[in-house]
Parts: sequence; structure tokens; C-alpha cells
Amino acid sequence: MISLGTSLALAGAASAAILAGIGSAVGVGIAGQAGAGVVSEDPDKFGNVLLLQALPGTQGIYGLLIAFIIVLNIGVVDGNMKELTLYQGWSLFIAGLPIGIVGLLSAIYQGKVCAAGIYMAAKRPEETAKGLIFGAMVETYAVLALLISFIMVNGVKL
Amino acid sequence: MLVPMKKATLYALKDDREAILLNLQRDGNLMLITTSDGNSLPGLTDVDSALEKTQDAIKFITVHAGKPSPLSPKPLVQYENFLQKTDEGAALSNQLTSLSEKITSLRNEAATMLAQANGLAPWADLDVPLENLSETNSSAYFAGFLAEEEIAAVQEELKEMPAEMLLLGEGNEGRALVIFAHKTAAAEVKGLLKDHDFTPVIFPKRTGLPQEIIDDLTKAATMKEGLAEELGGEVEKLSGKAANLRLYYDQLSACQERLAVGGEETEKTFCLTGWLRADRAEAVAKAVAEATAVYDLQFAEPAEDEIPPSVMENTAFAAPYEAVTEMYSRPKIGSLDPSFMMAPWHFIFFGMMLSDAGYGLLLTILLFVVLKVLKPEGNAGKLVTVIFLGSISTIFWGAMFGGWFGLEFKPILLSPMNEPLKMLALCFGLGAAHIILGVCMKMYLEIKRGQIWNAIFDQLSWLIIFAGLGLMAFMPDTQVGKYLALGGMTVIILTGGREKKNIFRRLLSGVLSLYNISGYFSDLLSYSRLFALGLSTGVIAMVINTIAHMLWQAGPVGIVIAIVFLLLGHTFNIAVNIMGAFVHTSRLQYIEFFGKFFEPGGRAFKPLAIRTKYVNVSK
Repeated sequence: MISLGTSLALAGAASAAILAGIGSAVGVGIAGQAGAGVVSEDPDKFGNVLLLQALPGTQGIYGLLIAFIIVLNIGVVDGNMKELTLYQGWSLFIAGLPIGIVGLLSAIYQGKVCAAGIYMAAKRPEETAKGLIFGAMVETYAVLALLISFIMVNGVKL
Repeated sequence: MLVPMKKATLYALKDDREAILLNLQRDGNLMLITTSDGNSLPGLTDVDSALEKTQDAIKFITVHAGKPSPLSPKPLVQYENFLQKTDEGAALSNQLTSLSEKITSLRNEAATMLAQANGLAPWADLDVPLENLSETNSSAYFAGFLAEEEIAAVQEELKEMPAEMLLLGEGNEGRALVIFAHKTAAAEVKGLLKDHDFTPVIFPKRTGLPQEIIDDLTKAATMKEGLAEELGGEVEKLSGKAANLRLYYDQLSACQERLAVGGEETEKTFCLTGWLRADRAEAVAKAVAEATAVYDLQFAEPAEDEIPPSVMENTAFAAPYEAVTEMYSRPKIGSLDPSFMMAPWHFIFFGMMLSDAGYGLLLTILLFVVLKVLKPEGNAGKLVTVIFLGSISTIFWGAMFGGWFGLEFKPILLSPMNEPLKMLALCFGLGAAHIILGVCMKMYLEIKRGQIWNAIFDQLSWLIIFAGLGLMAFMPDTQVGKYLALGGMTVIILTGGREKKNIFRRLLSGVLSLYNISGYFSDLLSYSRLFALGLSTGVIAMVINTIAHMLWQAGPVGIVIAIVFLLLGHTFNIAVNIMGAFVHTSRLQYIEFFGKFFEPGGRAFKPLAIRTKYVNVSK
């Protein structure tokens, strides 16, 4: 028997994975389109471009990370689902939101920055690292959201 | 450390110029300064165009014969052999260029012919030779395409007129058809066709039945393709000589570099100026002396208004981190090379972010092999070494946090998953030390330049505030911390706007500069990424292990899949997290650390040297 609290916690895990995952998919997609254009001109730049394309993919990983910890804590993984109270459920639901929402938006913007970085790498391949750093500036906020989500999930005593 | 530089001025005879330049290039210590008019030596344009041609030829032969394996070492060429320019390389380059042009034009012709044949395809059933398709005294004709749905209507109306319609095959623009009409009805038919969006066709200028023409064109195209194939085979035969072509390219590019800078000259003599490291003056003098006895060479300290290039030199541990510094910018001459101070922090932070001892161990072994076998050079080599050092640090931090391939095993220091607040405190503690070191570096720079008051007002005051705040946090019982912090703040308020004349504006900007505290605070918070990235490595490794565990329980097939999944999953996790750890560690250096003291904008030092792409030259 799954309580309403438990299913709310599952909804929190789901939203962390879904939203951040969508963000990364869009971000990596934007960067990938730019990358394919550059590689069509110069296939040797594939390595440089791939690094930049991969960068917006981390939000999806962060979302998965929080979702996994929630799912682990409520006992889905080992098959002994705990019955959570409504408050515990709401708390875990809310804890999933920071990385979900920030991950969604930051990955999209990071994808745009990385696409710009890919165009930069096309003209000046030796400056690829600077493009990576520009991307990392956007990712900072996903990292912060991940941290707060983690601390919140960790703080909900079951 | 930034290496002190000297400026060399050389006068010598033009007759000796080639020998001198060759020796200087072999020595590789002097960076020639381009004169204001940017003149170069005669013959440069020829070398430029030959180089471009050879590069295209190399690209062309690579397409046909494949690249040399990136793992195989570059062939070693003796210096004496490197200097001997063979005609073979030039001949090969020319031969390949003409082959490439021939193949391209053959392919283009074949494509044009095939396109024509395709265009004629709908007319294949027409049993009138194209040259006969013309107006006669009493008849006109219309050939072209009509949309399928219009045909019935046109047919209907044509029945009333002295005209005949011949329906042919299907084309892109509709049904191909020919209409023959009596001259008297020509205008009428034309109007009718126009009403139904008739598209007239323009036949190629050829004679014969359409089907015959199509056959001829296809045959000719196939023949041309075959010829192109044959020529491609010839290129493949030449691929054995590709090594000569690559050597020729490197010879040309060395020659190009020698010719790039002309310097001032008179009828018989020339003058060159250049930068060199102060400690390499002897080597340069020797290189010139070996070429000629008639010369004058002087070394001088850089003048006030001259900006020498920045050269960094560091200990074996810090040297690879120059590449990280260089990614941001070279340090401005007269400032500080941050590599030696940054290196230990980059080392520590990289390890904390990757933070899995198992991954660290794997990477250490793998990169050790890469460094030994492939011997990557230049910046790439430095970056690989940085990651290699970072993976050693990863083993340390992994053991501290008890992370081994995502499994927790006896954390020596603490377990970040279970004690997140302690972990955050550790991150902020390291961050505070990093930031304070940055402020100290700025202080050092200011003192070195004699700006002692700047150092006291702008840096020491902040350090006092930090010390005060630290005391307040850890020893709340004593009042010392409070007074220290207040003292530091007072200094900042009083001196923060000291360049302003007006006393009120001076105090106001003093108060505003106190606002920098928020900057320091956000810098400090930024170090929480040390925790977050470590968390990401650990938890994803855990996810991989959990899923593999589930697969494992599903029977023998599951076990195989689980092993494959473990291998792929952990490889992916390592790859993603190396990138994350490197990028975020570098960011912490660039924004939080360099921001405090680093002065970017140094010029690159690019001495005249033998720079090869395809071969190694032994000296």
C-alpha cells in the first residue's frame, strides 16, 4: 500500500529527473546543432566540439542524482517502500524542485552559450577552453541548486 | 616565475644572412621582431603558395590513402637531411595537385552529364530526333510539362483545334508532352497552355532520338567516372611516398619562418632585432658566431616603452599548470606568474571534485602509460600531466571520503553523503584560504612595486576583517574578533576613496568599497561546487552499481549485461567528471583566485625555431 506521502515523494524524484533531463536534452541539442555545422566544415574539430556539446548534459545527471537519492531513501530500490506521512512527502517533493527547475533553465542557456563557444572554437580552436569556462559560468547555478536539493533531501528524516 | 628577457640587435652581411638564420632557427632561442613596415625576405610568396599547395596535396592524399595512425610516433629526420630539399617533394606536390584537379573536373563533367540524362528521361519515348523537332511552314510545336490534373481539360479543348497532343513520361514538373498544331491555331494553343500553367522545356543542344542521347550521356558519364577511379588508383599508388610529401611540408614551413622577418637593410648589410631569455644570450651568440665572423651582436635590457614577450618557468610540479594559466592569459610582463601558487590548489580541488579513489587509481595508471608511450608535447602534454597529477590527488581525496568506485569504504576524514555540513565547512575553509592567498599575492605585488600604502589600505584591511570575522565565528566569547573587524572596516571606509578630492565623496566611496564584502562572500559560496561535483561522481557511480546489482540478480544473461553495464557506466562517469572537475577547478582559479591579483595580457614568446607538424628533427 503506497501512501499519498510516498507518491508525493516519487513525484518530487520524477520532477527532478524530468525537468533537469529536458533541460539537458534541449541544451545538448542546441549545442549539437552548432557542432554539426562546424564539423561539416572541419571534421578534425570533432573532439573540441564534442567537449563543448557535452557540457549542458550535466544538469540531467544532477537531476538523476537527486531523483536517485529520493528513491533510495524511500526504499524503492531495495523493494521495501516506506509509508511516508503527507508532510514528509511534500518535503521531498519540494526538495526535488530546485535542481529540476534550475536544471531545466540553466541547461538551455548553457546550451546556447556552448553553441556560441563552438562557433568560437571553429574560428580559434586553441581557445576551446575559454568556451568551456563560459559554459561553466552558467552551470554554477545548477551546481548550487543541486547542493540545496541534496541538503533538503538529506534533511528529511524518514 | 616570469623569466627576465633581453633584446638582441644583430648587424651582419647580407651574404651571410641565410647561414645565420639557419643557425638561429636550429638554436631556437631568438624571437625576431617584425619591423614597423613588416617587410619580409624575397621569395616568401613563392614559399607561401608552395606550402598551401602542399597542404592541399596532403589533404588529398589523406582522403585516398588514409592518415598515419595517431599512435605511431613521428618519423625522426636528421638535421642535415632536413635541410636538403629534394625535388621529389615538390614534384610529388605538383603531381598530386594536377591529379586532384583532373579528378574533380572529371567528376563534375560526369555529374553534369547525368543531370542532363535525368532531365531527358521523361522524353525517352519521343520517337522524333531532337534536331527535327522544329517549326515547319505550316505547323508549330510546343514541348514541355503540364500538371497531371490539367491534362484532361487541355485534351478536351484541343479536340476543337487543328492540333495533336503526344503524352510522354512523368517528370519533376509534371507530365512531359509535345503538342503539334497548325500554324493558324498556334496562338490559340499557346493561350490555352498558358491558362493551364504549361512549363516549356529547353532541350540540350544535341542530335538524335532522346533515348539515344540518354544512353550516350550515361555511357560517357560512366566512362568519366571510371577514368576518375583510375586516377584515384594512381593516387593510391603514390601513397607510399606520402612521407616525403609530409617532410616537404615541414621543410617549407621552416623555410617560411626563416623568410618571414626581413629587418632593416642597406645594400650589403642587414640588421635584425629580437627577444630572448636573458639566460640564453650565450647560446644565441654562439649560433651567430658559428655562421660568420663578420657581425655585431649586442644584448640590452628592454627599454621603458618596450613590452617583451612573457615566458613562464616553473618547477617540475608547477610547470604543467602553466597551460592552465595560459588558457586564461599569459601574465603581463612585470607582474606575477601565478602558476606556482595555483598548482597546489588546482591539484587539491581537482581531486576533491573527482573524489573517487578507484577512479583516481585507474586514471593514474592509464595516464602514466599515456605519458610514457605517447609522450604528448606542448600544451596538450601539459594538460594531460595536469590531469595525471589531479588523479593522484583523486586517490588521496577518495580515500579521505571513502569513495571507491561508488562503494563507501572506511572514510578516513568524513563521509560527505552522511555529513554534508562538515563537508561544506571543509570546502568553505579551503576556499577561504584560497581567497586569502589571492589577496596576499596582490599585497606582495603592491609591496614589490613600492605601493606599500595601497597594500595596507586595500589588502591588509580586508585580511584584518577576515581575521576578525573568523575569530567572531570560532571564538564568540572574546571581543577581539569584533574589534578587529570593526577596525578593518574603519580603515576601508576612511581610505577606500582616497583618490577623491572632496571629503564627502571620499567617505561615500569608502563606504561603497566596503560593499565588496558581498563579492568576497559570493566567492566563498562558489567553493560549494567542490562538494557538489564530488557528490555527482559518487552518486552516479552508486546508481551504476545499483542498476548492475539488479541486473546481476537476473541470472547468467543478467550477469553478462551487468558487467558490460558496469564497464560502460563507470567509463562514462569518469569521462564526464574529468571534464567537470577540470572545468570547475580551472574556474575557481580564474574567477576566485586570479581575480584578486592576476594581471593578464602578456605576449606569447615564439622564437624562430624548427616547428614541425609531421616529422621530428634530431638536432
